[in-house]
Amino acid sequence: MEHVESLQVFPLKIARGLVQLSFLGIPNRPGMTRPLFDLLNRQGVAVRHLVEACREQATSDLLICITREAFARLQGELHEIRARLQPREFVLREPVAVVRTLGPHFDLRPGTSGLLLTALVQAGVRIYSNATTITSSSCVIPEDQVEAAERAIGKTFLLPGAKRT
Amino acid sequence: MEERSKTVEIIRRIGAPEPEKISITGILKSHDLSFLLLTLPPADDPPAAVLRLLGSHGVNIRFITLYDDSPETRLLTLCVETESLTASLELLRSHQASLDIRSISHHPRVRILSVYPYKERAQVAERLLSSLRLNGVEPLAVNNASSVLSCVLRSEKFEEALSCLDHVFELP
Repeated sequence: MEHVESLQVFPLKIARGLVQLSFLGIPNRPGMTRPLFDLLNRQGVAVRHLVEACREQATSDLLICITREAFARLQGELHEIRARLQPREFVLREPVAVVRTLGPHFDLRPGTSGLLLTALVQAGVRIYSNATTITSSSCVIPEDQVEAAERAIGKTFLLPGAKRT
Repeated sequence: MEERSKTVEIIRRIGAPEPEKISITGILKSHDLSFLLLTLPPADDPPAAVLRLLGSHGVNIRFITLYDDSPETRLLTLCVETESLTASLELLRSHQASLDIRSISHHPRVRILSVYPYKERAQVAERLLSSLRLNGVEPLAVNNASSVLSCVLRSEKFEEALSCLDHVFELP
């Protein structure tokens, strides 16, 4: 595996015990996701991972991660909100973990994201979603693959406490 | 759709009750970038291979979202430097078959607007996205990777987006 110039990362931040909710193909309209975020805000639920994009102009896809505890508590309300959002498709994944890699300046060093994703793929880690900006990359993976992901990232990047080779 | 637009217009004219502004520390504004949207098979190899290919040719990627947008498709969105757009498109098209890239589309000029700290607050996401959409600014992609929440916007809508944020966020 490539270990290019020992790019140093800060301690990986790993959040376990999460659920990923994917609302795919929500018809675009102003304030469409307001009921969802309002509910989470009122209930003090942290949104651990958020990705939104769209393949076509008329719809959007929204993926969020919240704790399993919050999901269990709000299941009824979330079901109603799902009906209001009218997604073409809804996907629930659990248990998942968010692995956050901080530090190697994904925005300045060409190839850093490729290194990260390749390391995870070669370790057999399934990446449900990825969000990368500036100095940070956040991957949602199955919770039972966290250790494999940590090992793979540790082989590719220089984690705190590891000796520079 | 027309009914909905009328409602939005009425709310805009008479003024919906203004919620209290949310305190944030800052807003980051990128320079002009280019946006690429790729559809791929639902496996992890193709996105990693796309990123490796671009990286090996010195293409800097400033923003990524990756997820399955259906059981048959993965969606990969990227922001690259505008001067890398032509080369990136040529590279991707020349490797389209071998990398199993199903489609490639792009916007030549976009900018990334990021607010921080996000701190996983649903309220920050709600205000940001609602205020943009209520004012007709549709983000091309949104993500949060650390303490920032970032939106990719068409460059021509960027100033409009910034003025939307004035109404919902309070800066020090």
